[in-house]
Amino acid sequence: MITFTESTSRTFDITRGVQHSRLPNGLTVLTKEIHQKPVVSSIIWYRVGSRNEEAGLTGQSHFLEHMLFKGTDRLAKGEIDLITLKHGGSNNAFTDTDFTAYYFNFASDRWEVALEIEANRMINNTFAPEEFESEKQVVEEELRIGLDGPWELLDQEVWAAAYRQHPYHNPVIGWLQDLERATRDEMEAYYRQWYHPRNAVLVIAGDIETEKTLQRVHDLFGEIPPGPEPKPMLLTEQPQRGERRVIVKKQTEVERLQIGYHAPQIAHPDAYALQVLDAILGTGRTSRLHQRLEERDQSVTHYSVDYYDRIDPTLFLVRAEVRPDRQTADVERAIYEEIDRCQQSPVSDEELARARQLIRARFILGNEQASSQAITLGYYETIHSYEYLSGFFGKLDAVTADAVQRAAQRYLTADNRTVGWLVNGD
Amino acid sequence: MKLNVERIELPNGLIVLLSENRALPAVSISAAVRTGERFVSDEKAGLASLAGKMLDEGTTSRTAHQIASAIESVGGALQTTGGYATTSVSVTALSGDLDQGLELTADLLRNPLFPEDRLQLEVGKRLAEIVARQDEPQIVASEAFNEIIFAGTPQHRPLIGYEQTVAKLTRADLLAYHQRFFVPNNTILALAGDFSVAQTARRIEQLFADWEPTPQLSLPEVPRPQRQQPVTRFINRDKEQVNIYLGHLGIERSHPDYHALRVLDTILGDSPGFTSRIPRVLRDEQGLAYTTYCHLARSAGIDPGRFVAFIGTSPENLEQAVSGLRQQIESVVVAPPTTAEVETARDYLTGSFVFEFETNAQMASFMISAEIHQLGSDYPLRFLSEISRVTADEVWRVAQQHIAPDKLTLVAVGPVEAEENQ
Repeated sequence: MITFTESTSRTFDITRGVQHSRLPNGLTVLTKEIHQKPVVSSIIWYRVGSRNEEAGLTGQSHFLEHMLFKGTDRLAKGEIDLITLKHGGSNNAFTDTDFTAYYFNFASDRWEVALEIEANRMINNTFAPEEFESEKQVVEEELRIGLDGPWELLDQEVWAAAYRQHPYHNPVIGWLQDLERATRDEMEAYYRQWYHPRNAVLVIAGDIETEKTLQRVHDLFGEIPPGPEPKPMLLTEQPQRGERRVIVKKQTEVERLQIGYHAPQIAHPDAYALQVLDAILGTGRTSRLHQRLEERDQSVTHYSVDYYDRIDPTLFLVRAEVRPDRQTADVERAIYEEIDRCQQSPVSDEELARARQLIRARFILGNEQASSQAITLGYYETIHSYEYLSGFFGKLDAVTADAVQRAAQRYLTADNRTVGWLVNGD
Repeated sequence: MKLNVERIELPNGLIVLLSENRALPAVSISAAVRTGERFVSDEKAGLASLAGKMLDEGTTSRTAHQIASAIESVGGALQTTGGYATTSVSVTALSGDLDQGLELTADLLRNPLFPEDRLQLEVGKRLAEIVARQDEPQIVASEAFNEIIFAGTPQHRPLIGYEQTVAKLTRADLLAYHQRFFVPNNTILALAGDFSVAQTARRIEQLFADWEPTPQLSLPEVPRPQRQQPVTRFINRDKEQVNIYLGHLGIERSHPDYHALRVLDTILGDSPGFTSRIPRVLRDEQGLAYTTYCHLARSAGIDPGRFVAFIGTSPENLEQAVSGLRQQIESVVVAPPTTAEVETARDYLTGSFVFEFETNAQMASFMISAEIHQLGSDYPLRFLSEISRVTADEVWRVAQQHIAPDKLTLVAVGPVEAEENQ
């Protein structure tokens, strides 16, 4: 038995058993049978997010996500939630730079209601004017929650300074002024432009029968017109030529620091080495920044390193919450010293092995539920291709200490960074 | 629905709960010691939280760094936490690393040293965290609310403690606390995931059988909380929103009305989406908030939890939001819910129960909580039948019995004028 489990842990491949199909109208469908628990997760992804928004119309993707719960030709406002409740399930939605996604989790004897809802609201949302106005207030409140948090404002300012041309400049929730003046008609036009089978990925994972499921998808979605060719987003960011710095003032006793380095998009040859570097610098208590900032200098209460896959070149982020009795400048300098070490000499074999194993194990442990598998598969299919995942561990294993060093030298440079400080502004 | 759980009690009193699940090559180990801040005096506030956090900071045979390396080199995750009623060590790992995870768990529970240098480091960090928490208005509001409704019991305090108490905690405090409460006859060990029950049970015996129990374990009496006179407290912060908590003392988990109150919660303010009354009216109809909810049974524990309604809204909506919350709370007391509301809530609670055991970690934590609250091995079935029996009249009765709309404490944090009245 032990031999068996060891071999499965080495070969866990989330794409195994995934069936990829495409309806004549262009809808991409991924199904995966997972029978261990009697539950089914279904998620529909639209390839539209803040990345696709135009100046003056920011926040549209996210606001639209809210409106998809406010009524269709057949479902009254609130009915989607009521159906979910009666069926003992859960639903929600999330919007990011590159996508908007809607999910349902149900027991497997009743999950198909999710498909009926998604097929209906893909083209029949009604946008009642009074609902639009009332939900606008809700979205504005959501934006204010962000402004009141310790990190969101700083994060927003760093992205806005790092990107001038490319829409990653804008916060996903939008700028308040754009939200305030948004109109119902613009939103409906945006919906018609982006919500159609050709721009969508439907993922169904869990205790299903594939053939029957695909037939049901066909029956419900097959008649929906394919919609216009999705408009390509052509803006690119010019290379940064010199450090940018932003100061954000807020009532606080604790200063915070966020550094963003321009870094490559998903599946770029350097992306794998940067993921390893992310783990070496920031994941776990044996990581370099933990050892330096929390153990040696004892200068922060919290730090993090984040590098996420996105469609376009993104930011490699380092954040730190500075202890009240320490100087933010010292913390910033310590981070640069650690990055400098990664540039000056190759990481050890042990660190490399640990980083790979951490990434691999966290991936497996993070995909325990049918719903998390559906999210992972759908996310990659939407921004790139789900097949990326089957080759991922191989690419990870091929990352060398040299490659990590070169990636640090190439991307984590002073000229390529945007540095934000959150300071007290009483 | 029946869960496959193997329950073993070792001669030294350690309870072992094992549930095999071969879906993924992974395991979740969770050990819970029945101790926490509830056994700590106000003068030592934060001791249990600190001790729990520091379990992985060094043992008689491993340094903090060796512990971190052991778990991180295999890609696992280790978390130790000192909570209110339990202190836990949790490990998730690939199943090939189960043995290492078990060995670490045993070592951390039995042999922590709380080294002086690590203690200084952790205390320094906690003192800074206590300051940083002031930047989170919802935390400020929640803590102020607890100080009022849990007055006279250890639950009035934030788990992390206060600046003045945490600064004074010593290594001797930690060692004495550990020695008194961390014994096998006060501990539950739960495993869920990809392993063989027989083999694992044997290994657990090897690792834990010689852990000495305290024969006549005496645990401190925790004062029973009393429902307090309502207080209104406004706290000024330079923020966009006002965070509002409204409520009073709740119930303990063992209360016979627990299941009827779960149905009430689902009707009033604790359901997915915006179906229950408070989010439906205050968010969906009036657009007052992004986040608003209310519940009573959810926080029920060994000690009573809290009946609490929350809303975060713009300052100009403050009055409308508070009166809206009050109105909805009153609505469940003055009249029974509709039959349709009760049926929907029951359908939701029974239909969604399966999601409580989706992951190994959820399964382990369910087994522990069933053991602590003595729910019995048939609890999943009993939960379904208890919920199915709840009627509209029963919901009305428990609402009248457990909710006092004229005794609600109100805390608001944000751009408001500071004020306090009894």
